[in-house]
Amino acid sequence: MADDTSAAAGTSTETGAGTGSNLRTTKPGTKRLFLTVSVLISFLLGAPFLLKSTEIHRSPLPSAAISSLSDHLHSNPPSFPCHFQAIFLSPFKPSDSSLSLSVAERIRAQLSAQSCGNCNFTVSVTVDSGSSCRDEGDAASAACLWECGGGGLVDAIEGRDDQGIDELLLSAVNERTGGCAGRVYSVFVMEGRDERVVIGKHRHAWMVLKDLDDSTSVVSMIGTVFGDYFMRGGVEKGEYIPVGSDGNVVLSFSLLNSNPSDWIYDWDFQRTGEVLLAPVLEALAPVANITMESQVLYHAPKSSISYWDEKLEAYVVNTRDLPFFVNSNEWHLDTSLSASGRSKVLQFVVYVPSASECPLYIRTPEGEMSKTNAFISPMWGGVAIWNPPGCSMQSQGIHIVRDVLPPQELEKIIEIFIGQLRLLFGLNSNYVEPSPIFKVLASEKGFTNWELDLLYRQHTCFNLLSSLSTLQSLSTLVESLPRMIVMDEIGKQVELSLEAANLAERNISLGINNASALSSIRARALAEDAFFHPSIMSISYSSMEHYFAIYMPFFAPVSLHVLLAAVKEVKRYFAERSKYLTFRASKLKSS
Amino acid sequence: MASHTFLSLLLFYLYSFHLLRPIYCSFGSNGFETTSVPKEEEFSEELLLKPLPDYKVLAHFHFTSTSPPSSSNGKHHHLFPKSIAQLVKKYKIRELELSFTQGRWNYDRWGASDPLSTANGKPPGVELWALFDIPTKEEIDATWRNLTHSLSGLFCASINFLESSTSYSAPLWGFLPNNGDLRYGALPREAVCTENLTPWLKLLPCRDKAGIASLLDRPSIYRGHYHSQRLKLRSDGLNGIVIEQTLSVVLQPIDRTSWSMHQLFKKSLTGKCALAKSSKVFLEIEGNLVSQNENILELVGEADMVTNDQRDHSTIYQYNVERYSEHEALDIRVNWKKLLQVSFLQAPLHASRFLMGSGNERGSIAISLQSARNSTKGLYDNSKNCFTRVVIFQVVPWYVKVYYHTLRIYVDGAIRDAKDVVEKINVAPSEDKVSPGTLEMMLQFPCGMMSAALTLDFDKGFLHIDEYPPDANQGFDIPSALVSFPDFISRRIYPDSISSPLLQSYKGRNIVKSYTEVLLVPLTTPDFSMPYNVITFTCTVLALYFGSMVNVLRRRVSEEERLAKSKDKRKPGLIPLLISKISNKVRGIKEDSANQSQSSQPILGPKVVFKVVLIALIAVLGHYIFNSS
Repeated sequence: MADDTSAAAGTSTETGAGTGSNLRTTKPGTKRLFLTVSVLISFLLGAPFLLKSTEIHRSPLPSAAISSLSDHLHSNPPSFPCHFQAIFLSPFKPSDSSLSLSVAERIRAQLSAQSCGNCNFTVSVTVDSGSSCRDEGDAASAACLWECGGGGLVDAIEGRDDQGIDELLLSAVNERTGGCAGRVYSVFVMEGRDERVVIGKHRHAWMVLKDLDDSTSVVSMIGTVFGDYFMRGGVEKGEYIPVGSDGNVVLSFSLLNSNPSDWIYDWDFQRTGEVLLAPVLEALAPVANITMESQVLYHAPKSSISYWDEKLEAYVVNTRDLPFFVNSNEWHLDTSLSASGRSKVLQFVVYVPSASECPLYIRTPEGEMSKTNAFISPMWGGVAIWNPPGCSMQSQGIHIVRDVLPPQELEKIIEIFIGQLRLLFGLNSNYVEPSPIFKVLASEKGFTNWELDLLYRQHTCFNLLSSLSTLQSLSTLVESLPRMIVMDEIGKQVELSLEAANLAERNISLGINNASALSSIRARALAEDAFFHPSIMSISYSSMEHYFAIYMPFFAPVSLHVLLAAVKEVKRYFAERSKYLTFRASKLKSS
Repeated sequence: MASHTFLSLLLFYLYSFHLLRPIYCSFGSNGFETTSVPKEEEFSEELLLKPLPDYKVLAHFHFTSTSPPSSSNGKHHHLFPKSIAQLVKKYKIRELELSFTQGRWNYDRWGASDPLSTANGKPPGVELWALFDIPTKEEIDATWRNLTHSLSGLFCASINFLESSTSYSAPLWGFLPNNGDLRYGALPREAVCTENLTPWLKLLPCRDKAGIASLLDRPSIYRGHYHSQRLKLRSDGLNGIVIEQTLSVVLQPIDRTSWSMHQLFKKSLTGKCALAKSSKVFLEIEGNLVSQNENILELVGEADMVTNDQRDHSTIYQYNVERYSEHEALDIRVNWKKLLQVSFLQAPLHASRFLMGSGNERGSIAISLQSARNSTKGLYDNSKNCFTRVVIFQVVPWYVKVYYHTLRIYVDGAIRDAKDVVEKINVAPSEDKVSPGTLEMMLQFPCGMMSAALTLDFDKGFLHIDEYPPDANQGFDIPSALVSFPDFISRRIYPDSISSPLLQSYKGRNIVKSYTEVLLVPLTTPDFSMPYNVITFTCTVLALYFGSMVNVLRRRVSEEERLAKSKDKRKPGLIPLLISKISNKVRGIKEDSANQSQSSQPILGPKVVFKVVLIALIAVLGHYIFNSS
């Protein structure tokens, strides 16, 4: 208060002193200076609060954790613990001491690419030939080791066919490695007259060799069985597994009549198809929840051109024209309404050509007819061409042929479709054996147990990788759009998904298969839920321009005033002070 | 013998009397009176051509697909569209009708009480109603929402706008008697075009590649005066799923007195769809031409069968498409020898609806009913005990706030007490931004009445700025009201020799009904730049206030005055100098060059240059900062 009065006195004396002169008798007042500067400071202090209050709500995403996990998975793909065991049922003297190590080396040598879904394997070798029993190598647990006493197997095998041997060995495996029957892959090696290597329908194979003396070739064969079949299924990469993110797959079967004015074929898919496909669906149940549906469509011509081939005496479509075969304008295959959410629809199409292009075959680049007369399109489905009997006779009668696809023909087509399904899932439709003595037993379920294991591993791995790539794209998207609203729900889903992914990764390395598959599915579903959240596209309506348009009319003039006032007042204060100081100096001088 | 004849006559009389008596019947049984359940999926296609009194031609395409009841419904199909079966299964639909209409059915000229017009006259835009087989109300609402989205995807239309609870209603008896499991919604402004027709055709096994549907030449059918495309489905455990797909087009032939199918559609019918169980074309002429035996009409093309309906309202000529091929296309040609004077069956009352009042604040809706006596003279007498019942069903969006207590009913120009006229009323008032207002009203008018009118006052509501549609100034549509006459049943019975799902559907008891016009209500539309204007204006005022306050607190008035005086003595400032210069230039007074050179000195001074550079620097910096962010 006292300061105020003195300042007031100061101003009153100013008038007396006069600004025009270079002298000032009183100290310049600081009231106005204080006022303008405090307004300016309060504005400056208020600015962060304003920015904070007009901020767009963005839930923080753990982008660092996402990228670190994804880097980790890319450099070090998750591998599942598996145990391989080779059992010699005939006397065998290995040349070098550590047979299991050389087998492992052999497998590792073939394991070139760091692909997803590989095994982090352990190998053990047992020689179990009646009297002698010797274990070697490392097993995950003692229960997984082959329990000796299977000497009688060699005699039991004698005289049985492959199917019989397969069942016999299955029971032997279950009996002797009861502890971890589902997780051990076995190869039985024995001496015999007719050489062959058979890979069974379950998780074991057997080799009958003339002599076991050449241990290098025996080891290389064992390595091939383990590495190429049990671990990778003869597939190089199986990244695409056509399963929807909710674990559902709809198989949509369509019978397409190219031109119903020539002939109309119907089918009894419900009776034949469902019966034939039911075991396949059952077998695939751990990987995907599959449903089926069928329809018959008419007036659905293909869109690629076929022409008459004199040599084959048929109309042919070249393989290079196959990408244009599917006529998306006329084939109203429809995505299924029953396929809820993000499930995947795989189309399987039986194409019945019209009279003007019958019989129709696919010609391979070598100029031969395709054996199956069918092709697949990855992630979409498969097409099989079925030529009606007697269509080459050109019997263009007046009466339209209305017929039902014969059940045996339908069975053949469905067999083709099962092969295509295997291809779509990344397995070979039939194995090309490295040597003539190799044989792979096919399961009546379409998928053997070890193939299912493989799919299961790959599916888990694929889910994990795809969830991370989804999360990563989401976080880059969010970072690239600074005015995008990110709901709390999205943040939560991302966090949960990341958590599930971490859990899946840990469970994989621990070898808890069911839990890892479940959490990997959960991670992928949550990641996609977050990415396809309906609010994700609602980029804030208040863009940067909008923001300026609202606040400029107030803050531009006001800040101009405040700044100018502060600058003027500061300038004046210093000017007046220098006057006062000169006055004081002169006074001192004069005194 | 005589008594026998008398007895049969009496029976017939009783029977016909029974027909005219008020009958409560469900619309649901319309046209689906299939006697035997087929074992297989079936498809049939039909086309009915009918000359209209104003020399236009109605072409009514009718496709029926049936799927027997089976556990595999929705999974395995041969002819029946899989998507529809899945729709029925997923949403537990008992009945559904979806119509896309362009133009308005002209009830005065094209008929109002024959089965064709009562079943096919539809309100403009999209109308969707569905009956669900679901117990609880909440579940029905949720299913309805999902259904609108599915249909919207299936038919390439904005049916999903019916999702919000403000756009659909649940009438109890005004539209169709039900137990609260019916939902009704209409989009009057939806434009209908080929993009809706293509998915509709996709449901047919032959699409438009063969058969009757191949006549659908897009330019010809969309040139018509009325275009209505419908999908009606019904599903129950007994008959399975039945879909009726109809397309009604009113076309104008070039020559009034003579037209042919080829002229109308610019395409010829060369054969049936190979998958159709039956494929027929009918030509229906109102009036009993067979018995009249008058030479007013010449048909080119021999009909397979000519019959009349039981009460001789019309004559039907039947053509079986199977007989025709590419070499001999079916082309029906009609030559009128004498211009037709057909009096069409009118509805008992002609309904129309209009808006009254002016301004953007309030108005009233009026529904006027005019008696169409001449056509139904026989039904009326002036006795006091005779009444005609009329049911009005109207849905009004929430922003048109109807005051239902202001209902006034005029009969023959005189106001009548609502109690005397209204037999039954059900009002569901609108709730702001939640639900539309629904009015269901059953009225009883004396038979001798000439005209009646109903008025309802309303206030126009205000919408939030982001609730306005893109073209807000066009106005808002109130969907058509439905006026039905439960005492009047349009039905035609044809001899059993014709087996046709189309004519079969006419046997059903269709209640005579007509849709009124769509109303266009202009609402007060704000200036959509208003928020910005308000913001800038307020901010400017605030900035002015703030600036002056800062100045009042800061400035030393006396000191500045003194300064200004002393400055006046010395040298005028830069800006006053410039102002005086400009004003001098404007006045045309030339200053001497010496003065000019003197005054130009400070403009190019180092201080000014520095200031300009500083401002440019700030601008560049600002630009850089904003771009980098």
